[in-house]
Amino acid sequence: MTAETIIQSLASGLLMGLLYGLIAVGLALIFGLMDVVNFAHGEFLMLAMYVTFFLFTFFAIDPLLSAPLAAAALFVLGAAVYLLIVRFAMRAKANVGMVQIFATFGLAIVMRGLAQLFFTADYRSVPNSWLGGKTVSVAGIYLPQPQLFGALVAIAAFGGLYLFINRTDFGRALEATREDPGAVALVGIDKNRVFALGWGLGGALVGLAGAIMATFFYIYPDVGASFALIAYVTVALGGFGSVFGAFAGGIVVGLVEATTALILPPSLKSVGIYAVYLLVVFIRPRGLFGSM
Amino acid sequence: MTMTRRDVLLGATAAAALLPLAARAQTSEVVIGATYPLSGSGAQVGVDAQRAFETAIDIINNDQDFELPLAKGVGLPGLGGAKIRIVYADTQGDPQKGRAEAERLITQEKVCAILGSYQSAVAVTISQICERYQIPFMSADNSSPSLHRRGLKYYFRASPHDEMFSAGMFDFLDAMKKKGAKAQTLALFHEDTIFGTDSANAQTKLATERGYKIVADIKYRANSPSLSAEVQQLKAANADVLMPSSYTTDGILLVKTMAELGYKPNAIVAQAAGFSEKALYDAVGDKLEGAITRGSFSLDLAAKRPMVGKINDLFKAKSGKDLNDNTSRQFMAMIIMADAINRAKSTDGEKIRDALAATEMPGDQTIMPWKRVKFDESGQNNDADPVLLQYVGGKFVTVFPSQAAVADAIWPMK
Amino acid sequence: MDKQFVARRRRDLITAAGLAAVAAIVPLFVKDVYVQNIMVLTLMYAALSQSWNILSGYCGQISLGHALYFGLGAYTTALLFTKFGVLPWFGMIAGGLISAAIAMALGYPCFRLGGHYFAIATIVIAEIGLLLIQNWDWAGAALGIDIPVRGDSWLKFQFTRSKLPYFYFALVLACVAWFVTWWLEDSKWGYWWRAVKDNPQAAESLGVVVFNSKMGAAAVSAFLVAVGGSFYAQFVSYIDPGSVMGFQFSLLMALPAVLGGIGTLWGPMLGAVILIPITELTRSYIGGSGRGVDLIVYGALIVLIALARPEGLVGLFSRRRKEATR
Repeated sequence: MTAETIIQSLASGLLMGLLYGLIAVGLALIFGLMDVVNFAHGEFLMLAMYVTFFLFTFFAIDPLLSAPLAAAALFVLGAAVYLLIVRFAMRAKANVGMVQIFATFGLAIVMRGLAQLFFTADYRSVPNSWLGGKTVSVAGIYLPQPQLFGALVAIAAFGGLYLFINRTDFGRALEATREDPGAVALVGIDKNRVFALGWGLGGALVGLAGAIMATFFYIYPDVGASFALIAYVTVALGGFGSVFGAFAGGIVVGLVEATTALILPPSLKSVGIYAVYLLVVFIRPRGLFGSM
Repeated sequence: MTMTRRDVLLGATAAAALLPLAARAQTSEVVIGATYPLSGSGAQVGVDAQRAFETAIDIINNDQDFELPLAKGVGLPGLGGAKIRIVYADTQGDPQKGRAEAERLITQEKVCAILGSYQSAVAVTISQICERYQIPFMSADNSSPSLHRRGLKYYFRASPHDEMFSAGMFDFLDAMKKKGAKAQTLALFHEDTIFGTDSANAQTKLATERGYKIVADIKYRANSPSLSAEVQQLKAANADVLMPSSYTTDGILLVKTMAELGYKPNAIVAQAAGFSEKALYDAVGDKLEGAITRGSFSLDLAAKRPMVGKINDLFKAKSGKDLNDNTSRQFMAMIIMADAINRAKSTDGEKIRDALAATEMPGDQTIMPWKRVKFDESGQNNDADPVLLQYVGGKFVTVFPSQAAVADAIWPMK
Repeated sequence: MDKQFVARRRRDLITAAGLAAVAAIVPLFVKDVYVQNIMVLTLMYAALSQSWNILSGYCGQISLGHALYFGLGAYTTALLFTKFGVLPWFGMIAGGLISAAIAMALGYPCFRLGGHYFAIATIVIAEIGLLLIQNWDWAGAALGIDIPVRGDSWLKFQFTRSKLPYFYFALVLACVAWFVTWWLEDSKWGYWWRAVKDNPQAAESLGVVVFNSKMGAAAVSAFLVAVGGSFYAQFVSYIDPGSVMGFQFSLLMALPAVLGGIGTLWGPMLGAVILIPITELTRSYIGGSGRGVDLIVYGALIVLIALARPEGLVGLFSRRRKEATR
């Protein structure tokens, strides 16, 4: 194992990790807002990838340009899912957590079925985009441009999200609703509107991630499953509810995955991620940056 | 005259005895089951399989001028022109569901034979159920060698299994080495499923026997979100030949990641699967100029055997795709099964089994590059030769074995 | 312990006995193997979900990794039988005990974790188990284990065509799981769990005893699920890591309890009776199209039930609901 191998592994792991963070941050946001784990998160990602794919295929819009469109589409989807499904699942008197998990789990299955019905089971991909297949080589270390760009978007998204939550009125409303949904009603904030916007925002973030993923990943109705579990672990590792935690969690997951593959057979590389998660929560039961 | 009770009983018995005969003579429909993943991660293969079976049934049920068994004339002459109807069942790639669906097809849909099943794990349980109900099962596209080694009487497979496929690949490598090509070190890249494991086991055994050196043996988790670490190890090993056993998804990601990490293998010799799927070449074909894959089917055969091209056109009209490794085998499985049912002149499982066991179909009456179709006691056809295809200029060219080849292999790849 | 409570428990027991008796004679009239197969699966899922419900419903420790115990049961039985010729009946018990021991060993660190952290921990532990078996050559790795079936035998618990023995075993298992739940409801443990649920402060004062009772619940739950896994291995006579230990399986096990009514005595049964036939029938009769319509129907039903009856389908039986949320 040469130094070059190790550096390359860490570099690849870091880039992938930032992307995992970007995929997971929408989940973290929604959870932080209202304690809901969206089990259709992988399917949100899948849909964003299809949106990007179809915009590219039919309108020749490069994923870089269509990323905002994918984010917008997923914003609408996220808000709709809250208003049409999650809002009602939240009415459960007991075990709200399980009820909403399975309501979104059912939604995930529906979305896969719909994707197969409308987009067929064929494997798709965006064959040549501006970034796809291109790579930057620095001193023998290769940094693929799609992941590099993804990493920049992830950093920008986290920065933007931080400013948004801390510096805007809506961000403060979000924070307030999260802390005391009952009290905000008294000051004239519509809880449902805030939650719907929160879901929309979470969807938009995974929409961005999907557009970037589409430049280097294959697309088919079940593609979300590959990322869903990683996203949950990322969020939990970082600490549920912490947006910064998702960012840090993503980086840790990416790096651990890459280094595990250096030591164990690659088919076991997820074991490293899982082991690190367990280690972290056994020491810090609220994850790395969990607040509550 | 008064009829006694005994007379009535006798009459009823006679009628009952005659009934099956009468019913059999009038069989206007023969029902065959097909168990495939029609939802979930293997759904694309299952859906394509439906088109392949429909193509075969069109040819059998209608009068077509092909040198293929049952093409001429309508339906199955052995059963008075009975037509074939196919019933599909969705296994979702799960052994238990496959088992339940096979049982349903047999007991409710009254199928007289079952074809399947893409995932080898599902074929294990379906073939068990078929054995119990004495209904023949034919693996159209399962390639796990363990399947025909379980002493089952009702199991058949016309196409090669992974050991035969791998032997073909190593025959090719031997031939290339003799020509002076650099093909001494190998890198295996295989997924952690039955398919990947069987393929890698066969390849490891052959490599040791024939004096090749395996410099990397990378087993990866199917449908991983990232293959960077794996590709990096491949790159570090820099073998003369990269031998992937991957399905479409991982195949696409592998090739893309290789390009991103600046790894250009000297040569690729793939164990089909993803590397014979159109989707993979649509996605990353530009990076695969000169990649070689084993296959059971070659469109080049159309030059020698025009019906191959015509049948391909029929299939393409339904699916928008050319016949490939999987769909050609599915097509043939239906033809071979129908031929056996026709010769059995019956829809009885045991008679069909015996007819299958007696199958002797010359290779030129198939659409495959096979010598012939003839099953050994374990139900395996040992005369199905694999071919090696090279992806050149946007299509596949047969490069091995010499009797089927239309061009020399380009080595190393581009 | 008021009179009403005692009366309800007696009524529950009588109802259960009556239902079991009715269920027992159904296959004498329903001969279709496909339908019988659905009944076997329904009872199996009812048993699994009932067992899951003990830990996750009553105890409130939401596990989404019970596939681990299911897989351990299946693998222990299959490995002991194929490698050492140990009869599945012993394998079943061995698998149950191994699972119970592992559940307690895992419970010790994991019960300190709150809500979602616990759930994710159970998922990743089950995934680690899956990956290890998938890469363990001696245990068949990805190839799985094909259990040879040589004719009908109660000793080896394998039957070529008849579903009846499997049906009755699954029925017994479901009854046992139900009875254990029924018994726990009125035990000291059941009392503590209710107390903790109603009043989180009580958890503080009960700290140690509650922790120990959770360990016990984990062991009982894992044992029963592992027996279910052993049963599955015999029933399907082939297992591979993905089909007995996959994450999906953990969800499928929890689903009947959630839809039927989590933490209720009848919820898992009711959920399984409704959900499993729907699962099977949609796949069999709509899935053949290859267009994903079965998934849409199945998923939409889950969403609808979850939304229409968030507290579970037992809520339909309004009298029971009042008592269940008592």
